[in-house]
Amino acid sequence: MKIICLIKYVPDMEDFKYDYERNVLIREKMNQILNPEDACAVAFALSLKKSYPHTEIEVVSMGPRNITHKLEDLLRLNVDYATLISDLAFVGSDTYATSKVLSEYLKKQSYDVILSGTHTLDGDTSHVPAQVAQWLNLPHLSNIINIKTHEIELGRLELSVDSDHHVMTYETQLPAVLSLQKDVPYKLPYVRYEDLNKDVSNRLKIISCLDLNLSKVDVGFDGSKTKVTKTFVKTLTRSDKIEVANDDTGIQVVYEFLKEKGFIS
Amino acid sequence: MKKILVYLDGNHPNDLSLLGACELMVEDQAFEITAIGTQDNVPNTNSVYDHVLIIDKCNINSYDTLNLTELLKEVHFQHHYDIILFSASPIGRILAPRLAIALHTGLVADVTDIKSNQGVIEMIRPAYSGKLMAQIVSIGEGPIMMSVRPGVFQSTQTQIKQTSITYLEDYQPKPSKIRLLETHAKAKTEDIRDSKVIISGGAGIIDNFNRLQDLATILNAQVAASRKVVDAGIVKRKIQVGQSGKTVSPKLYIALGISGSVQHIEGLKNVETIIAVNTDKLAPICSLAQIVVEGDALEFIEKLIHKIEQNSLNF
Repeated sequence: MKIICLIKYVPDMEDFKYDYERNVLIREKMNQILNPEDACAVAFALSLKKSYPHTEIEVVSMGPRNITHKLEDLLRLNVDYATLISDLAFVGSDTYATSKVLSEYLKKQSYDVILSGTHTLDGDTSHVPAQVAQWLNLPHLSNIINIKTHEIELGRLELSVDSDHHVMTYETQLPAVLSLQKDVPYKLPYVRYEDLNKDVSNRLKIISCLDLNLSKVDVGFDGSKTKVTKTFVKTLTRSDKIEVANDDTGIQVVYEFLKEKGFIS
Repeated sequence: MKKILVYLDGNHPNDLSLLGACELMVEDQAFEITAIGTQDNVPNTNSVYDHVLIIDKCNINSYDTLNLTELLKEVHFQHHYDIILFSASPIGRILAPRLAIALHTGLVADVTDIKSNQGVIEMIRPAYSGKLMAQIVSIGEGPIMMSVRPGVFQSTQTQIKQTSITYLEDYQPKPSKIRLLETHAKAKTEDIRDSKVIISGGAGIIDNFNRLQDLATILNAQVAASRKVVDAGIVKRKIQVGQSGKTVSPKLYIALGISGSVQHIEGLKNVETIIAVNTDKLAPICSLAQIVVEGDALEFIEKLIHKIEQNSLNF
């Protein structure tokens, strides 16, 4: 059983730094964290490995070189291999170009299941897993909140999917691309103290644009089908409003308002 | 004449957001709009659409996005649409990205505003957890594709057209790799989008979040949360309001200890009244609120409950 987890390191939005004069995000100064739902995917893979020790886990991430040490930490958690797909030519890739790059790598790998998160903290388009599935001609489901593995030996998984008003239970044939939602009951453990400095570099590889036989016009800004022409901070409109303190008078104002509008009978 | 295709699915059958989005894109130009979907989800009489394509005879399950992508691709190659729109429903969100790859075109998700600038369509969406807005254009040859959340745009279209209705039947689906075993409905009251009154909490009430329910019970409201509370694992994502959560349009939204990031505010559409309770009266949410209460959210809950109970005793 081989699981590939597609993971992304995203700017920690708690640490948002913006240059309001130049209207750009100051990314260098922002901490990068593993996207929370992608962490759920890795955590699920690790839990599966506990039940089925022959499971092999590879994490694959596209991003800058400086996330190497973060990938190493995942290798210290019993992940078997980490692959960083990194090249300056990839800068500016939209979801079309990103999914193409990832798929070029995945086409040459063997796997039973590809896992990812459903949402990311940065772009939050949820496009890439579905697009990878399309390039690879695989079935895909997202918003997965539970996975049952009792038929895994038969090449099938049972999945519960959060679908607005319903919870749907599906059975999918493997290989498949499966995107987990944060509500899955899996959490990534911490690296054990004695493993903190363990040398794992022999299980990490870095793949460039050239390694994937992709031309520079297929990736980055040139290979993208959408272009961000402007970013800006939304200005909010100020409405006519009443400001009160959290005291008896303030509570009275709120109470009367609720009463007048019929929210309190 | 712009040719537009909209994919309608079951989650929000009466939502005219997609039509509203079309109107912004075409401005005053004439356009021809085709709706595609299953019989249950598309109108089968004269409607606001010029054409309706019904896919039931193609024998594709609604969740089989592999086959649906192939079908939509074939339909596009027959009709060559300029614009293809999807509702950002659970299926729309995984179907649209696949079709964009199949058509080798760009896709913009969760568009919240559209501008047409000398014929170039600019799509605006929140990015970086909603802290930034990004203006995006589609480049390349393919049709412009976007997904739109229910309720984001309003349509002014009232004219009923002579709709042509066609049952698609020539498509031969490949065997499906996914099978639906079971569906169970969540209790309807669980959906914060159905609620007229929402009591929503953020970082400022994170340690006493369970107290929101007390106020919600009295006001016959539902409890919702900002992303911070969801990320902290205190409540489930299904009650999250905001760009990565749900878009709500209640009559009353009481924001307790929520600063109101752009991401959160994206989830508030056509809310009649916002009451914001915050220790910082300059928090972004306060600029949207009709009533701002400067102070601690927990204290506010206790005082307001006390006030309501006291007055009901007096009757």
